[in-house]
Amino acid sequence: MNILDRIIVEPFERLYEKLLFFLPNLLTSLLLVMIGIFLGIFVKWAFLRLLRAVNLDGLSQKFGIQEAFARSGIKESLSVLTSRVMKWLTIITFIIVAMQNLTIPTVEHLIDKMFLYLPNIFIGGLILILGYVLSNFLGRAALIAAVNAGIKSAGLIGRAAKYTVFLLSCTMALEQLGIGKDTIIIAFSIVFGGIVFAFAIAFGLGGRDFARDYLEKRLKGDEKKDEINHL
Amino acid sequence: MNREVLQKINEIKEADILVGVPSYNNARTIGHVVRAVEAGFAKYFPDRKTILVNSDGGSTDGTMEVVHNSGIDDFRSILFSHTTSSFLKIATPYHGIPGKGSAFRTIFQIADALKVKACAVVDSDLRSITPEWIELLIKPVVVDNFDYVAPLYQRHKYDGTITNSIIYPLTRALYGRRVRQPIGGDFGFSADLARFYLTQNVWETDVARYGIDIWMTTSAIANNFKVCQAFLGAKIHDPKDPGSDLSAMLYQVVGSTFDLMSTYADAWKDMTGSRPVPTFGFHYDVGLEPVSVNLERMIERFCLGVRELGSVWKDVLSRGLFEFFTDLTASSQEDFAIPDGAWAETVYSFAVAAHKKLLNREHLLRSLTPLYIGRVASFVKETQESSAVEVEDKIEALCRVFEEKKDSLRRNWD
Repeated sequence: MNILDRIIVEPFERLYEKLLFFLPNLLTSLLLVMIGIFLGIFVKWAFLRLLRAVNLDGLSQKFGIQEAFARSGIKESLSVLTSRVMKWLTIITFIIVAMQNLTIPTVEHLIDKMFLYLPNIFIGGLILILGYVLSNFLGRAALIAAVNAGIKSAGLIGRAAKYTVFLLSCTMALEQLGIGKDTIIIAFSIVFGGIVFAFAIAFGLGGRDFARDYLEKRLKGDEKKDEINHL
Repeated sequence: MNREVLQKINEIKEADILVGVPSYNNARTIGHVVRAVEAGFAKYFPDRKTILVNSDGGSTDGTMEVVHNSGIDDFRSILFSHTTSSFLKIATPYHGIPGKGSAFRTIFQIADALKVKACAVVDSDLRSITPEWIELLIKPVVVDNFDYVAPLYQRHKYDGTITNSIIYPLTRALYGRRVRQPIGGDFGFSADLARFYLTQNVWETDVARYGIDIWMTTSAIANNFKVCQAFLGAKIHDPKDPGSDLSAMLYQVVGSTFDLMSTYADAWKDMTGSRPVPTFGFHYDVGLEPVSVNLERMIERFCLGVRELGSVWKDVLSRGLFEFFTDLTASSQEDFAIPDGAWAETVYSFAVAAHKKLLNREHLLRSLTPLYIGRVASFVKETQESSAVEVEDKIEALCRVFEEKKDSLRRNWD
């Protein structure tokens, strides 16, 4: 009898005690998840109205963000996307709180680690967005400057400026996330240095004749100059 | 103003007429300008207290020393009779953003401090200035109570292309006054107008640079000051630095004009047509040196712009206009032409885009350069065999198109 108690009954009693302790937490967690879902839907609605009121879509159109989304196959406007992100952030926050409420050590440990990593994800994302906007801006500035200088490969220069800046921002974002820190910097240096080196060789060997012709024209003044006074 | 200048103003106390000369490394030419001004004062305003103010942008070639040392030693060599009058000079470096506008601001401040009755400003690189310019720029203010005297020059048909293709037609269509050289650079103005200019909060903008001329003219017209123009003859000046950036020039001048459109929207929206302004001076023809133009290279620049900047212009130009420019890149040099209508529509489209901030302002205005070069190429091609009078007729026709198309600007503005 005593042995039967110890082998069968006691574990069940312990399980029962644990269930008694765990069930209220589980119910609370389920309630939290449901509240999170409802609140998330409300947050999405509120953000959508707010962002439309401040004309976020107009601004994103102006800065070329909408165009970038369209190019990558995203058809929704920035206000819809942002409000959707806010909804899921709210729901995920409630899910995390609900999971912590269950007081399971492994889950708690994982959540702690995730919370510590979250700022890195946020900063990395921010670097990426800023890098994208800046790369578009500088790429366009380089393109216009090259066109106004009469450089025939102006398009190439504009694209090179744009992708270089974006590549740099990607490197910075990955470094922030701690993914292959040294590897990325070394890879970037090799790629960037390689491009510069390739250009140097290309101009040095392939463009030798062109450079000579160009300098001759410049120095001898073969080309008919404009004497127009614009002002 | 520095202490030395303030001290000099305290010594002089008051003056009747002031001529300002902005400068930056103009030692080669400014001596002639100073002598012309002095002779003008002696010949036309002998009984007035006159002063020349040189506002310098930190020249390193001794411009200010030349101003101090220049003068007419023997008046008998240029005038049969003259009264010895006082000719005062102030040469001072200006402060603020480097540019012509900042130099003018210092001149306005000195004019205000000396309580002058009439002022004029003339460029320091002029080779064709004569004493008569001083009379023509000042007398309408002193005698006829005009507030603003714009210059009218005899210029080569390819000279002043920004003026002829954008600034004059646009200013005339907007504000309804036919001021032929709104950015001429040499102006006469009253003390009231100088004080008005000083009260405006524009000295940290492009007005402080190349934008000053159009700002002075537009402000005078839009604020109902009495405006006239004076025929000064030929405008010959030192050749500009070949490295000076056309797109920067275009950005500052056109940008200032577009900014003024927003400032004075109420003044131009209801204006229709245009009327001439009173003109002083005796008209005569002048032999002008030929201007060399590389038409092929200009068309190449236009084609390069159209090929590469489509993504920049897509929200600025209408689809039809952009397709027209694209088709033009495929045409031969003989057939290359940007008609007046297409050009007026282009300028208005850029003005609306700048007003609505559809694009970064600098990118927008600098991207106008290839289209402007294309228009200049078209104009050069069209007027290769034309006389000065025929060219003027063509500019007149362009102005009328700007006036006719103003409705589209009004519609798209708000």
